[in-house]
Amino acid sequence: MVVAAVPLFPLYWLVISSLKSPQEMGAIPPTWWPTDLTFSAYGRVFEVVPFAQSFLNSALIAGVCSTSVLVTSILAGYVFAKYRFRGRDTIFWLVIGTMFLPPIVTLVPLYKLITSMGLSDSYLGVMLPWLANAFGIFLMRQFIQDIPDELIDAARVDGASEFRILLSIIVPLLKTPIITLLVFAVVYYWNNFLWPLSILQSPDKYPIVLTLSRLLSYSTSVQYQSVVMAGAIIASLPTIVLFLLAQRVFVQGIARSGVK
Amino acid sequence: MLTPLGDMKWTGVDNYVSVFTGSTHLTAFINTAVYVGLSVLITVPMALLIAMLLYFPRLRGRGVVQVILFSTYVIPTVAIVIIWSQLYSPQYGPVDSILHLFGIASPGWLSNPNAALISLIIFNVWQMLGYYVVLLVAGLTQIPQEVYEAARLDGASAFQQAVSVTIPLLRSSLVFVILMTVVNSIQVFDPVYLLTQGGPVNSTLVLSFDIQRTAFQNGLAGEASAMAFSLLLFIALVGGTLAAASRRHT
Repeated sequence: MVVAAVPLFPLYWLVISSLKSPQEMGAIPPTWWPTDLTFSAYGRVFEVVPFAQSFLNSALIAGVCSTSVLVTSILAGYVFAKYRFRGRDTIFWLVIGTMFLPPIVTLVPLYKLITSMGLSDSYLGVMLPWLANAFGIFLMRQFIQDIPDELIDAARVDGASEFRILLSIIVPLLKTPIITLLVFAVVYYWNNFLWPLSILQSPDKYPIVLTLSRLLSYSTSVQYQSVVMAGAIIASLPTIVLFLLAQRVFVQGIARSGVK
Repeated sequence: MLTPLGDMKWTGVDNYVSVFTGSTHLTAFINTAVYVGLSVLITVPMALLIAMLLYFPRLRGRGVVQVILFSTYVIPTVAIVIIWSQLYSPQYGPVDSILHLFGIASPGWLSNPNAALISLIIFNVWQMLGYYVVLLVAGLTQIPQEVYEAARLDGASAFQQAVSVTIPLLRSSLVFVILMTVVNSIQVFDPVYLLTQGGPVNSTLVLSFDIQRTAFQNGLAGEASAMAFSLLLFIALVGGTLAAASRRHT
């Protein structure tokens, strides 16, 4: 109970700050409950920066990349789990190795690569490196390994094509990892800051996190901070809602990925 | 930085030389090492303690607390930056006003070169704690009850049980959490970029921020790449050591 208070307190402060009037924001010492509640900050957010457009940008990027990661991870996971071929394990461990690579290490070469393709400052440029993910492949392979081979062999004997096996047998058994990966991917791509910062220049293409930082730097006056807080809440809503909806499954999935 | 791939010149190890002799780059390395070290030292024991507190007494609100703790992980770092920049604010923020109530002088948080890095570490612990607690609780559920029964029959106290039964059996989860903390804190970028820009007086200059700034603001792709590759080698070293340590005991 005390433990829950620690993460809750800053979040509480965020919410009440977004509801305070600009005058009240300047109060010293700060008030712990808004004396005059107002939603005006939320309106201001949309006036200062192209917030709505940004929201849609984030939705586009996160949506496309998450779907792509889901597809590529299931395909690759299936191959690594159920097929046998030379070098399979070596390649798998190489892929896993990339998980421990901090994005900062690949930032410069990736930037050069994407700009040399002429994709600087474009949606495609942002999304291209994100269409597949090593963690996703790892997660899917772990779960697919648990599927009994007999099930698959029986289907093959019945004459089902590989694709059919994938869709009708494997995928329905992957509910937990699919939800886990989906939430993980959406959260990761929605929140990611460094890569879009590096590759995009036009503010109207900015995802919500970049626009939020623009919102932050627009003014340092304390009266303005309620607007920034409101923006932060709006930007965080999708990931929080998604997480709350999927939390039981998602938490289980993450936990299972950590227990080797 | 903007030179096309075909026009770049080969300079041998010059970039590495300037990386290791440039004083700010070494500062970045030291700051990052301190950041990672303290993050691990604070986060892991705290996560373990909270996980055990959540798991052992059969209280009802456990699931809710876990969800609340974990939710800080899904919020965009930018939003968390916004929250904490307000919390840390000397006149308008609640943290300092609480301290004044108790008559404690404010450490100045982000504007004090000696406190800035710690402020960022607190930020990081707050954000990541829930994720590690969830992992450790999952690890705890893997330990069979019979082991605790046997220990209790042998007369072990709760504390002895925790130290001699729980922690050794939690080894693989703990190693995983430590690894994740290291990997995650080495990468720290967003709060530095948004809150301190490496200051004050380079006290929060960390590797990832240094690399990004060298590459994009100073335009020195070669030097930034040398730093990035050195970081890679360092991580391989740390990862390899941890992997060897965990394999020896399994």
